[in-house]
Amino acid sequence: MDEAALLDVAGLDTYYGRAHILAGVELAIRRGEVVVLLGRNGAGKSTTMKSVMGLVRPAAGRIEFDGADITGAPPHQVARRGLGYVPEDRRIFSDLSVMENLEVGRQRPREGAPSWSPEKLFEIFPNLAAMRARPGGRMSGGEQQMLTIARTLMGNPRLILLDEPSEGLAPVIVEQMAKAIIRLKSEGLTVLLSEQNLHFARLVSDRAYIIEKGRIRYQGTIAALMADEAVRAQYLSV
Amino acid sequence: MVVNSLVIQLLNGLASASALFLVASGLSIIFGVTRIVNFAHGSFYMLGAYVAFSITRALPVEAFDVLGELGPHVRFWGGIATAALVVGLVGIAIEIAVLRRIYHAPELFQLLATFGIVLIVQDATLAIWGPENLVGPRAPGLRGAVYILDQRFPQYELLLIAIGPAMLGLLWLLFHRTRWGTLVRAATLDREMVAALGVDQRKLFTGVFLLGAALAGLGGALQLPRETLNLQMDLSIIADVFVVTVVGGMGSVVGAYLAALLIAELQALMLLAPPFTIAGIEIAFAKLTLIPSFLVMAAVLIVRPYGLLGRPQAAARVAGAAEPVLRLATPELTRIGLAALAALALLPLAFGDYTVAVATEIAIFVLFTASLHFIMGPGGMASFGHAAYFGLGAYACGLAVKYWAAPMGVGLAFAPVLAGLGGLLFGWFTVRLSGVYLAMLTLAFAQIVWSIVFQSDALTGGDNGIRGVWPDEWARDKAVYYALAVALCIAGTLLLRRIIYAPFGYALRAGRDSPLRAEAIGIDVRRVQWIAFAVSALFAGIAGGLFAYLKGSVFPTYVSIPKSVDALVRVLLGGVQTVSGPIVGAIVFTGLEEQLARATEYWRAVLGVVIILLVLAFPEGLAGFAQRRWERWRGGGE
Ligand SMILES: Nc1ncnc2c1ncn2[C@@H]1O[C@H](COP(=O)(O)OP(=O)(O)OP(=O)(O)O)[C@@H](O)[C@H]1O
Ligand SMILES: [Mg+2]
Repeated sequence: MDEAALLDVAGLDTYYGRAHILAGVELAIRRGEVVVLLGRNGAGKSTTMKSVMGLVRPAAGRIEFDGADITGAPPHQVARRGLGYVPEDRRIFSDLSVMENLEVGRQRPREGAPSWSPEKLFEIFPNLAAMRARPGGRMSGGEQQMLTIARTLMGNPRLILLDEPSEGLAPVIVEQMAKAIIRLKSEGLTVLLSEQNLHFARLVSDRAYIIEKGRIRYQGTIAALMADEAVRAQYLSV
Repeated sequence: MVVNSLVIQLLNGLASASALFLVASGLSIIFGVTRIVNFAHGSFYMLGAYVAFSITRALPVEAFDVLGELGPHVRFWGGIATAALVVGLVGIAIEIAVLRRIYHAPELFQLLATFGIVLIVQDATLAIWGPENLVGPRAPGLRGAVYILDQRFPQYELLLIAIGPAMLGLLWLLFHRTRWGTLVRAATLDREMVAALGVDQRKLFTGVFLLGAALAGLGGALQLPRETLNLQMDLSIIADVFVVTVVGGMGSVVGAYLAALLIAELQALMLLAPPFTIAGIEIAFAKLTLIPSFLVMAAVLIVRPYGLLGRPQAAARVAGAAEPVLRLATPELTRIGLAALAALALLPLAFGDYTVAVATEIAIFVLFTASLHFIMGPGGMASFGHAAYFGLGAYACGLAVKYWAAPMGVGLAFAPVLAGLGGLLFGWFTVRLSGVYLAMLTLAFAQIVWSIVFQSDALTGGDNGIRGVWPDEWARDKAVYYALAVALCIAGTLLLRRIIYAPFGYALRAGRDSPLRAEAIGIDVRRVQWIAFAVSALFAGIAGGLFAYLKGSVFPTYVSIPKSVDALVRVLLGGVQTVSGPIVGAIVFTGLEEQLARATEYWRAVLGVVIILLVLAFPEGLAGFAQRRWERWRGGGE
């Protein structure tokens, strides 16, 4: 496929028990891109990310990251290769303080990837700086969303999978989140995010895929998607 | 004076609390991360004591002479520390060899596999150190006593008192000031997320096992100057430790310390309470030390189901397979089963007394197993203390003979009544919990029953049991008694089966599969489970009664932990979700045990290996496996 692809997913099939969730999902993300995976509730966005991460075992298909085959590798090995994952339900360690949550995510600096420290992350997420010792369980949803992203960045990933970062956030926070993602891109990070919020996706992404019932139905630049009323009406409007 | 002895007892309680805390914190830490309740934790404790015994002996005194005054101290404490480390390494070996393969197995199977380890360690200890009690060395420089309020108090106990809080402090630092500790705390909350952040869970689990096992080993090693070493140390501490971890909250180290203090102090204070008399029988509190701890546990669990400092566990977040529905045997299988029963009935004609006695035992265990299966399969409640009800039935018969010289009919009628009442009482608490908490609570209740029959010599004859529990004249003949037992057991088993497919059984299964939905259609889930628990206890009591008359005697071992676990193994061997399972399980296991006990002195270890292999090989049980095979074969043939 694409020579320069950092993440290359081909023919991905995933089942939950007997339910066939993903059917031949194809994605290719190039270095430095921000790509959005759009789709309605239950379309298979989270399942795609979990399959890439090794949290769910795909039945068929091939996942290549940075030229290496990571299909079926356990999550910690995938993460160690520089693939960061931010779950949609945040999964903050509720008893651990902000600093401790960040510590869990910490990995060694990685060549060819931006390096992060808590102080540098607090520049992007200033809210967190004021609550270093606060237990994760006593933070607002927006604060937790920032912490979960910061925690994954502590692993100095080359690419992060961001599962619905704008979900359930107040408009002001959504705007902050968009700024943060643009900042990450400027640092050289590659991003695959999933979204239902087209407005948000448009602010941050270069390209888009649309997934429906576990199949990729559309791919193109975000500008092309915005111009294509028919596609948006078919796959995205509720 | 009273105040003085009170203070001394409180101090004694503090000293005991330390050992209890060391073992319990290890168990709790391991559970927090791996979600495995390690039955073998008492074995680590026992090993710690025995290994320390050997090391402190083997180290040559002269080698430490160069250290002068310090020599003996270094030798003794070095031995204790090395013993803890050795046990830690044994823990790692076990984790890698067995537990690593079953992290995704159902929790019941995990508990069972760790019980297999208990059996193996027990026999290994027997083989290495022999059956005699051993007396270890005293701690150098701490052999004397101090005077507190005019009472002698051993110096070594003072040290133990200090060790508890000191270890608590060290553990706190480890968990809050090191990266490893932070990772462990995070993994306790959400281990899959920790993995997704790049942490190798397997290394973490192994490390946690090293720590947990070493803590238990240290707890055992520290007992060396205090207690004689014996082969019962493992199971006797594990019951207390289960109570402490459950009261403190699984996974909470501070909770474990608080609970250890609470339980140990209560037990120490019980020693001061004067004996009292009920119905002409003197009962000494001092002998019933187990009871207050279990009462505390029951009380805590009702108010705070997850313990003092515990919290509800996040679901394991692994897409697990749904419970298969209970499958009826195909008509062919049923016919084969009936043929086997007919063959069973003709058995005495062909074989001698010994075989008939074994066959009677098997019939009894079929009923006992079916009774446990009834609450485990359709009820979804895994009782780890079902021997309690079997034992209550047996003791009902024993007591009827001992006090009333009653005929067998009275005993056999009294058995289900007493067992059923026990089931009603304990079941009321039990149905309020689920999962491992339920398992541990039922085990604790069984230990209460055990401690009552073991410790009240006057009532039950204690360790000596009750003898002379023979059937009436007409049933003395082995073949006649066999016929009676088989008839009652088949009737009981069929009745249980009927209930499973009756509306009550459907309500029970609805409650298991989806409590919320069951409540929504008007089923009082707790009540249904409670009744099921009592019914199950009642049938276990019948089995126990029949067993008492078969053996002619009743002993506390009928109620012991291994008996409860045997029952579980029978159920799991047969498969929880097949109705025919208990029958297969009981026959295979009872036969196996009989053969093993005759073949080798170390049958316990062999049994342990068999249990572990079974858990690894047949997570759906033998009957489930066979039934699936059979159906596939039949399906393929058509
Ligand atoms: N653990 C699971 N077991 C069984 N089915 C699942 C599981 N998780 C998700 N599904 C099903 O898989 C399908 C895809 O789910 P997925 O979470 O990938 O969707 P999504 O696009 O992320 O949706 P959302 O926008 O709601 O997050 C859905 O039909 C969902 O019901
Ligand atoms: Mg999703």
